[in-house]
Amino acid sequence: MRVESVAIAGIGATRPMRRSPKGLRTLVVEAIEAALSDAGLDASQVDGVISDGLCMPTTVPRDWVAAQFGFQRSYDGGMSFGGAASASAPIHAQLAMTSGLAKTIVYYFGVDWGTRASGPYGFHDLYAGKLAFEKPYGFSGQPQYFALWARRYMHEFGLTERDLATIAVTQRESALRNPLSQATRPLTYEDYYAARVVSDPLRVPDCCLISDGACAFVMTSLERARDLAKPPVRVLGTGFGSEPITGDDVFTQPAGMMRIPGARIAAEKALRQAGIALADIDFAEVYDCFTISCLLQLEDIGFCKRGEGAAFIREKGIGIEGGLPVNTHGGLLSHSYLLGVEHVVEAVRQLRGEAGPAQVKDAGIGLVGGLSNPDYGVMILGRDHR
Amino acid sequence: MSETATNDILPEFSGFFDSARQHRLAFPCCRGCGAFHWYPMPRCPHCRGNDVEWRQVSGRGTLFSFTRVMHAFDKSRAGALPYVVGLVEFSDAPGVRLVTNIVDSPLDALRIGQSVEPVFRLEDGRPIVEFRTA
Repeated sequence: MRVESVAIAGIGATRPMRRSPKGLRTLVVEAIEAALSDAGLDASQVDGVISDGLCMPTTVPRDWVAAQFGFQRSYDGGMSFGGAASASAPIHAQLAMTSGLAKTIVYYFGVDWGTRASGPYGFHDLYAGKLAFEKPYGFSGQPQYFALWARRYMHEFGLTERDLATIAVTQRESALRNPLSQATRPLTYEDYYAARVVSDPLRVPDCCLISDGACAFVMTSLERARDLAKPPVRVLGTGFGSEPITGDDVFTQPAGMMRIPGARIAAEKALRQAGIALADIDFAEVYDCFTISCLLQLEDIGFCKRGEGAAFIREKGIGIEGGLPVNTHGGLLSHSYLLGVEHVVEAVRQLRGEAGPAQVKDAGIGLVGGLSNPDYGVMILGRDHR
Repeated sequence: MSETATNDILPEFSGFFDSARQHRLAFPCCRGCGAFHWYPMPRCPHCRGNDVEWRQVSGRGTLFSFTRVMHAFDKSRAGALPYVVGLVEFSDAPGVRLVTNIVDSPLDALRIGQSVEPVFRLEDGRPIVEFRTA
């Protein structure tokens, strides 16, 4: 059987904002319209729809999307949730295309956690263990989980607040080069230290933004993508990894804490498929829900060793002109919190040379890492050298 | 995203609350492999055996990590800021880390590795287990 080479032929993104008056359904429709138009495709050509398997089915389901566009679905799928789903979406597309189930597949994801009363925290009420044993102690928000990790990591590896600040400050500089970023003001180290503490040692700039917004991308075969409106971006490799631990346990109970084992698994799979090494990666879009989690993923993906994330960031540089530009659009910290789908869109922009002032010079291969602890997705994208 | 209101104390959780009412700490432990686990599950996540019992422990623990919470994630806590969430480990229940609040202690002097002991109380008839430095 011939395994299809997947390409991303179109991208679409709404302007993310803290609260959108439009409603999530409208945002998703706009993102998909933009992605189809970017690819130069008509809705009648779409025969597959993919979303994440947890958030979208309860907010903007695939059947609803298909009805809005008139998509005749011969493939319909959802895998994992949030960031891991967006970064591993080509796995589905490749399966569907290789088996002949679909030729042109739309992936979409969006959130209205800026508007929704429970914000990003309502999510945690889905977990019985958290409800019984954590919420009564006021432990019910992601910043607290990662605050526990950050303090323990500081204790074990000598991480400093300045190290965390470097991530926030650098990504803000990148965000200011992107016209769609929600964060529009510069962030200095002084601003960082003066910022409100959320759950110590984490301050406001250590935490992602909260957003309403949506993105979509269209996947098809490389062959077909070459005939469409934009130069195709090739999916060189995709990996999904996880560990068998429940959502209740994953932030407090793992034997090896402050690690994301799925990231290593997913990265190894994606790199093997792409036939490249991490040294070949020109830039990375990594799920930076918090400064500390971005640092840990750089370690777990394998860019540096455990405990050496801060030194890596300091010495290598993660700004646009750095040795490894990370989150070139500003990331979840300073661009928008769309749970990583915007990371995919940004990687495509970079590889097409459409990133404007945030363009990484000679960007040829980019890595996207999407976290939905314990699940992890890695997508490696490359320019089409024909 | 739906936020389902589930019954917040599942049957397999009750051993913890039954013990806490008697001012004791107990955690699930596998009779087959002898390992503790947390949170409570019907099946031991280490050996996948089904013979799990509640085993009482001394309650003396050490602080694995902690955070001073300055933001009311839960609006009902807006008047109680800041408060300290601790993650406590137990030498006689390896594999368990308990989320709790650190109370009645010099909070500015908290450090990782510090010894802590449980303080039991009821809130709306439900046992709450907090810790203080020992």
